[in-house]
Amino acid sequence: MTDAWLDDDDALLGALKVALADDVPASFVEMGKASFTWRDIDAELAALTYDSAYDLLAGSATRADPAAARNLTFEARDLSIELEIVGDVLHGQLVPPQAGQVEIRRADGTSSATSANDVGYFTITPPTCRFRLHCRTTADVVVQTDWITL
Amino acid sequence: MRDDPIVIALVGRASAGEQAAWDEIVERFAPLVWSICRRFRLSEADAHDVAQNVWLRLVEYLPSLREPAALPGWLATTTRRECLRVQRISWQQEKQLGQPEIDLPADEESTQVDRWVIAHERDSALRRAFADLGQRCRQLLAMLMRDPPEPYAKISSDLGIPVGSIGPSRARCLQQLRGSPFVAALAEGTTGRGERRDRRVVGR
Repeated sequence: MTDAWLDDDDALLGALKVALADDVPASFVEMGKASFTWRDIDAELAALTYDSAYDLLAGSATRADPAAARNLTFEARDLSIELEIVGDVLHGQLVPPQAGQVEIRRADGTSSATSANDVGYFTITPPTCRFRLHCRTTADVVVQTDWITL
Repeated sequence: MRDDPIVIALVGRASAGEQAAWDEIVERFAPLVWSICRRFRLSEADAHDVAQNVWLRLVEYLPSLREPAALPGWLATTTRRECLRVQRISWQQEKQLGQPEIDLPADEESTQVDRWVIAHERDSALRRAFADLGQRCRQLLAMLMRDPPEPYAKISSDLGIPVGSIGPSRARCLQQLRGSPFVAALAEGTTGRGERRDRRVVGR
């Protein structure tokens, strides 16, 4: 009850001015709402266990060659997903090798899909925005990766 | 305010998968996330990146949020850390080596986050209270808040009130603002703030 901003007229008007000044862009709010699209409590999370970019940051690898591949590994209990991004192609491999459906879920709420072949291999065009892969194998193992930004 | 039953209900419904409840959570707390990005002086693109990561993480964190009242603190802490991460990356890209490490010790971090959450609660309450005022009061206060200040003669002619009554009207409108249930709830919340503090930032 003793807040100065509340008791004094000038201070209250000043606080009101601050409160009304900082307008949040509508796109900022809409993006937050779209984040709910891919809420999925059934898929097991495949956590990031390896990222070649960390090697670079840690200085344990040589300076990034722009043509060099980026490698990522995501692991869940029954399925791992290995990704290699070379230029404009993302190569994916399900481990252990098996066929399945792979959905690319983008943070903006859009998606597209592809199939992993009988030995678990698939390719996609790497999205430029934040995305995750949602995989359903023919044995009905359902796994999704952490969010990825390339 | 902190144990706002509306927020508790929203968290429950969003955890159960209701998009409308999620939308309302975002509408309520986007200003908090935004204000923190602004404190870090992030570009609009970086602010969007930070916020997207924060919301995506909240979607997954919601079901394990044991105490919905802790939501503002969790959002502020997570946003703050994301801002630091983005800031670090942009420094690395600009090759500004030798930047001082600006992260704070844990207790100072929680004090800072507390201050931001309290500022957010105050701003939200004031916005709502202002929206609830009559049109005359909103017009008058809006003119009084302009930068640079409007001369009283201009306010008088625009609003059709005598110069001599601007002062008393201003006082009356501000008194109405103070009397708003939103602001009153906030004032009640200031008592016992200390004991609530430790409950707020959980789930780090």
